[in-house]
Amino acid sequence: MKRYSILFVVGLAVTAVSCQKDFLDRYPQTSVTPEVFFNTEEDLALYVNGMLSLSGHGMYLSDQSTDNLATTAAVEVKNIMTGNPSSQNVSGGWLWGRLRTINYFLENYERAAVTDEVKNHYAGLGRYYRAIFYHDKVKRFSDVPWYSGTLNPGDEELFKAQDPRDVVMDNVMADLEFAMANVREDVPTGTPGKWAVAAMAAKIARYEGIYRKYHPELELQSTADDFLEKAVTIAEQIMAEGVFRIHNTGNPASDYADLFGNQDLSGNDEMILVNSFDQTKNRSGNQNTGIFGNYEQSPARDLVQAYLMADGTRFTDQPGYETLGFVEEFENRDPRLAQTIVYPGWQRAQDNAPYVQFLAKNFSGYHQLKGYVNSTDQVLLNSTDVPVHRYAEVLLILAEVKAELGTLTQTDIDNTVNLLRNRVGMPSLDLAAANANPDPVLMAKYPNVSGSNVGVILEIRRERRVEFAFEDTRYDDLMCWHAGKLLETIPNGMYFSGVGDYDLTGDGVPDIRLIPEGQTIPAERERNSLGVQLVYYTIGTIGGGASVYLENGVNGGFLVTDDRQRTFIEPKYYYRPVPNSETILNTNLYQLFDWE
Amino acid sequence: MEDQRQENRVQWRGVCRWVGVIIFVWALIVPFGAMAQHPLVGKVTDQGGQALVGASVVVQGTPLGTATDEGGQYALVGLEKDATLVFRMVGYKSQVFQYTGQTELDVVLETDAGNLDEVIVVGFGTQQKSNLTGAVDQISGVQLESRPVSNIMQGLQGVSPGLNITYGNGSPGEIPNINIRGTTSINGGSPLIVIDGIPVSDTYDMIRLSPNDIASYTVLRDASSAAIYGARAAYGVILITTKQGRQGTQSISYNLTTAFGRPTEMPDPVTDPYIFSRVLENSTLNTPWNGPSYVQFSEAYYQWAKERSEDPSLPDVRLNPNNPNEWEYMGNNNWNDYFFKKATVSQSHNLALSGGATIDEKPLSYYLSADYTKDNGLNKLAEDYWQRKGIRGRLTFSPLKWLKLDNNMNVYQTDIAKPYASITDIYYLQPTNVVKNPDGTWGNNAAGRLAARLVDGGNNNEHMFGFQNIFNAVGTFFNGDLTVTGDASFKREYWRYPRHSKKYKIGYGPDDIREEGGNGFVYDRRGEIQNNVFNLYANYNKTLGIHDFSLTAGYNQEDYLWETTIAQRDQLISSTLPYLELTTGEARVNAEYSSYATQSVFGRLNYTINGRYILEGTGRYDGSSRFPSSNRWGFFPSISGAWIVSNEPFFDALKPAFSNLKLRASYGSLGNQNVGDFSYIQTMGTDLSGYLIDGAQRQIVTGAPSLTINPANYTWENVATINFGADVGLVNDRVFAGFDYFIRETTGMLVAGEQLPAVLGTGVPNQNSADLRGQGWELSLTYRDNFTLAAKPLRLETKLVLSDSRAHITKFKNDQRLVSQYFEGYEFGTLYGLVGDGFFQSTDEIDALDQTAIIPWGALDIVPGWPKFKDIDGDGKIELGQTVDDMKDRAIIGNTADRYRLGFNLNADWNGFDAQVFLQGVLMRDYYPRHYLFWGPYQQPYANVYPWHLDHYRATDDTPEQRAKHSQAYLDAGLADANLDASYPVLQSWLADYNYLDGNGDRSGLDQPNTTYLLNGAYLRVKNITVGYSLPHETVKRWGMSRLRFFVTGENIFEFSEVKRFVDPEAINWGTDSSAWAYPFQRRFAFGLNIGF
Repeated sequence: MKRYSILFVVGLAVTAVSCQKDFLDRYPQTSVTPEVFFNTEEDLALYVNGMLSLSGHGMYLSDQSTDNLATTAAVEVKNIMTGNPSSQNVSGGWLWGRLRTINYFLENYERAAVTDEVKNHYAGLGRYYRAIFYHDKVKRFSDVPWYSGTLNPGDEELFKAQDPRDVVMDNVMADLEFAMANVREDVPTGTPGKWAVAAMAAKIARYEGIYRKYHPELELQSTADDFLEKAVTIAEQIMAEGVFRIHNTGNPASDYADLFGNQDLSGNDEMILVNSFDQTKNRSGNQNTGIFGNYEQSPARDLVQAYLMADGTRFTDQPGYETLGFVEEFENRDPRLAQTIVYPGWQRAQDNAPYVQFLAKNFSGYHQLKGYVNSTDQVLLNSTDVPVHRYAEVLLILAEVKAELGTLTQTDIDNTVNLLRNRVGMPSLDLAAANANPDPVLMAKYPNVSGSNVGVILEIRRERRVEFAFEDTRYDDLMCWHAGKLLETIPNGMYFSGVGDYDLTGDGVPDIRLIPEGQTIPAERERNSLGVQLVYYTIGTIGGGASVYLENGVNGGFLVTDDRQRTFIEPKYYYRPVPNSETILNTNLYQLFDWE
Repeated sequence: MEDQRQENRVQWRGVCRWVGVIIFVWALIVPFGAMAQHPLVGKVTDQGGQALVGASVVVQGTPLGTATDEGGQYALVGLEKDATLVFRMVGYKSQVFQYTGQTELDVVLETDAGNLDEVIVVGFGTQQKSNLTGAVDQISGVQLESRPVSNIMQGLQGVSPGLNITYGNGSPGEIPNINIRGTTSINGGSPLIVIDGIPVSDTYDMIRLSPNDIASYTVLRDASSAAIYGARAAYGVILITTKQGRQGTQSISYNLTTAFGRPTEMPDPVTDPYIFSRVLENSTLNTPWNGPSYVQFSEAYYQWAKERSEDPSLPDVRLNPNNPNEWEYMGNNNWNDYFFKKATVSQSHNLALSGGATIDEKPLSYYLSADYTKDNGLNKLAEDYWQRKGIRGRLTFSPLKWLKLDNNMNVYQTDIAKPYASITDIYYLQPTNVVKNPDGTWGNNAAGRLAARLVDGGNNNEHMFGFQNIFNAVGTFFNGDLTVTGDASFKREYWRYPRHSKKYKIGYGPDDIREEGGNGFVYDRRGEIQNNVFNLYANYNKTLGIHDFSLTAGYNQEDYLWETTIAQRDQLISSTLPYLELTTGEARVNAEYSSYATQSVFGRLNYTINGRYILEGTGRYDGSSRFPSSNRWGFFPSISGAWIVSNEPFFDALKPAFSNLKLRASYGSLGNQNVGDFSYIQTMGTDLSGYLIDGAQRQIVTGAPSLTINPANYTWENVATINFGADVGLVNDRVFAGFDYFIRETTGMLVAGEQLPAVLGTGVPNQNSADLRGQGWELSLTYRDNFTLAAKPLRLETKLVLSDSRAHITKFKNDQRLVSQYFEGYEFGTLYGLVGDGFFQSTDEIDALDQTAIIPWGALDIVPGWPKFKDIDGDGKIELGQTVDDMKDRAIIGNTADRYRLGFNLNADWNGFDAQVFLQGVLMRDYYPRHYLFWGPYQQPYANVYPWHLDHYRATDDTPEQRAKHSQAYLDAGLADANLDASYPVLQSWLADYNYLDGNGDRSGLDQPNTTYLLNGAYLRVKNITVGYSLPHETVKRWGMSRLRFFVTGENIFEFSEVKRFVDPEAINWGTDSSAWAYPFQRRFAFGLNIGF
């Protein structure tokens, strides 16, 4: 009995105990260990596609930081101008996770068993992304620490000081040169190829060149022309290749607008890089409520005034232009105005009558059209493509940079600015005429422009503002032009002469009635000659009980959107501080231009 | 070295395995001599003569045993002369008899509130309660049987001291948070659940059990009692033992419960359209964002609101006068009424057959049960339930005298059905919404959309089918001194999560009906769990004079695998056919995978001298796959002792008034493997690109591997518990008290290492570098007695359970002692905030105290009526200090941890009637409210307005012109009048904004906790009251039944709570933000039936 039992115990024990040697070794099956990756071209593509980053519909909202839009949103530059900014409360932008992702690739791609051509193509894309990453950092902080590899805890490099702007930008340009030389022309749609890389390189070179030229505080003015010349070279190379052309089908009233509410931009000759959307392929996006509604933004009157008259003359030369109402303001203007901002008589897809501008406190009365998809079909709404790089920008880079270098000719203008003007049926820009008669309004805005090309430089700046309105270029332009002071002006809205009835749809029949603050809106509202009830608003000065604020209250004026004093301190506010917490962790970091 | 050792082990196993198999088979077939047999019958009663049902009769050292039937009768066959018979019953003292060949034996058992003779299931064995040295509590399964709970977790809440079960919401099939003794680790940690000797993978397994199938629950709280379970038991163990068949009695029982549920306390918003709209707009008028972005109603709108307020019979939908193409709404709805049921019906059925017989003189017993429970949710518009179907079959057989085999099989299925849309979106709905347009289409507003999505928007279901078989063999040798037990458990579960989303139609206007809801999709996730457990252990007991030894040694291994595949495709061909194949979009396939394994050897030695001094030591050597092979193994010892003072001769003088005293102490140290399965392996994630690349979303690698841990120093978190306890019996053990005090040190918690500059580009690797100390106590007090009332026996039992625990950080790398992080000395739950000082009454007061640092978004204006706070540091500014040493105006204003958890149970039965009252609560807790359900428009101007908000500060009376516009209800509510003596401050939206954090990550305005609006989160809930009546045994016997009981019961009947004014007192456990954004809890009233044959 005893014998059995002991044998039983031993037997049962060894029977059941697993004999697997590696019983305790378990490995993941849904993620890749780096040791077995980076072997094939597919591996490199998987990783590089993971780094893809393109601007989406949010682009149409990003001019909130500029003089193009009034906004109720709490955007950073507005907070800085109205508050007490310091490195404690301005703490954004110091994010480095993406650089780690990029540098990790650049440290590992060479392990792949593929030809050098393949390696260099993907390495080129990696360096292209790194260049964009660092250019964004430089735009914000100017001096930033340059890292060409990944960091680990214990590395002394973690605690190094910033590298000077010129060192960082030389590295950025070197990355871009390598990328332009090695990235293939033929790449999957929706990803950057050789020409997207080149367009980005031209953009960065132009920005840096102009920035250095107009920002004496950097003491880099002498090197500005190097970057400007690089921009010329790259832009000319893209133009010479003849791959792209301005989208012009001979319909000046719609060719421009076609670029922004389009279901499929992939076949459009002007597109260098497109961010595709297609709800049926699970890629949805739209910003209709942000763009058009009365959520957080409305176009500024200053932008409306920037557009030329249809005959090429300046709107701001029109007598009494400051007191024109909404309908008159839109008459005989550059056709791009009506393709960018809602015009009198425009109709929403769901309505069977023209849209009557909704007026509200803190809003300009103007409504943005660019980026708005005028449809009730949800699939369509969510499926419009976004132009990431368009050829028009390459053309305007060339024109502007040559103008700044003093090498601009009429032929250059015809090959660039005038192609854009021609698309919308605008008269051509004449170099001599522009320089002979610089716009006094623009001269006041950009007093630091000098030399023989002042007139044409100002017109090219107008062209950039108009052509790229609400496409996220205005803020960078104001910064590199050293025009931050323009942000001190609080954007305002439509003009009304005071109480009374107004037509907003352009048919001559009143649509709204403005009554003085304190009066009650009658229960039975008056009807216009079309039998439609008027929309009533009470008017008054800002802060009062009226439903709409006018400059002079019941005596009229433009719509007021805000009244908080804005101060743009130069050169400080062209830069952002390194977050306070980071300067504590790494005492080698320093703050530029009076930030603390 | 490690490799060498493993190699040796493998070779040793390889040789021995075959030898073992052969010997094992041989051992089984060796015949044994037959036993003598004499039948023995009798009756077991209490001191009052009442039959005791379910008392166990066991023949010591053999598998033989039975239990008494409904009349207290038992019968045993196959007894050998001189066999030792033990009669046991929970709540009574055991009786031991020597069998002398008699044919009849009646037994009377004495009351014992301390259950000292109860056999307690402990890790890999059983012990008599009187011999325990650790902090252990056992609950009989009977206690939960008649409550209308659909699972055992609901039933266990508040029942056992130190076992904390916290529900955050009341959705059907909800799994609560379970912990033992409070805060465990920064990284969380829950107790190990062991069902019939087999550790389960997680707390989900508890929901698969029918409360009717459970014989007992044992909670092991301290390290010494849990130590034998090693790496997964660092935070305690819950042992669940299912019922077995009993020799001699055949029984069939059927239990039915039908419950009617409705929501408990719900926040009921203001429904008057005029009051709602005007208050909402007023909330933005005092802010810089008073434009149409958020709220700006036209004069015409207010006119309509007033008309609707004064005459609710007017239509609530009309065409927009400014745009006759679209509908305009002016509802006056309380959406709780529209979306939630007032009486949802849930049911449970349980049928159990059990009994035993002898085959060829060898005992065989069986327990078969089937259960069906359907727990219906409150959603009125869509299917919303959890259900369980289960079958359990347990067969116990002794083919040989020394061998008992037990096969325990459980087959179960659970299903959850719910709509794709979340019903809690109801909290966003405004009263002015209208769900349907006059033409029957769904309204173009949030309520219309939510209803459309619930009804037409698709489902989100979950089905699980599982199978578990536990085979158990026990060999008994040396007259019962040695038992060898082998358990093998094989579990497979098949999970399926079908989910689909469909488009729905919204009526924007009479001729403008639009389809919304994306493309619609069908998603099918299927998963499989494989979980194998093997235990082999031996228990050896030996008595040498006054020395009792009990030795346990064993081996355990476990492996777990969870794999899923997900198939998804969008664009349904037809909304009526939500099937994967009937979609036209691009197909996507994904997979998930996790796996772990543990291996352990363990041992326990229990040594008792003279029945007075008990010493116990446990050790366990654990290996886990979750650590790199270099740091994989750990040894975890524990030691405990007890002194039964009342067994000392000098104590006799105190008896029977002071009938029992035992002192206990224990110390143990356990490893915790509660970390990610593959945390130590560097990997790169994969995903689908968000962008269309070549026209489709492509697979991508998401980036560089993160530096999660440093494999070189990554290892177990260690949990050491010291426990002191005392058990006290009074008045001949009618009153019994158990008390435990513990200190639990969690060391080496895995936390982020020292902060590094952001240029690192990823999180700092985690290190085992933080320590925590928890301490607390538990008290349980039982009183059990028998009385005679109207010549009938009245049995009474009350049990009070009270426990408390607190936890502090004892080590954490935070040199600056920032309050935003853990720091040494931090107490869990500590609530930092400002001390309220009323409202600003004048601009002079505002000028005198600079509160600009706490303005949400830095943009609101401080005006009279703004909350004012105490300037603790007296510098004329209200500022939030960043470090513990410089708190500025911040103070500790409370603690949000649950303290003094209470359970109180009263059971009585008399003359066939039985009654139970059960109270459960948390007696101390602070709660600072956040989010919409409390702050409404103070949080965001699209929230609801709740009645309490109407008492807000108003500096001036409205002008006569303004009053003329107001509705009568608005005037009657006093909202047009100044209100300087208000409970709530000036009505500014975003003043309590939950979404804003300042540059230091601190909350502002009313979102920063302050003493003015701090609530007492304590509650005491009448969890259950049950009244039952059992027909007399003699009566039902005539109908062929052994038992017939009717009962009515109520769950969550009433609560005492301050929070209750706003929401259900348990709802504040919801989420990390305590938003109370919870699926409602249910009050339930049920009736039921127990039938036995």
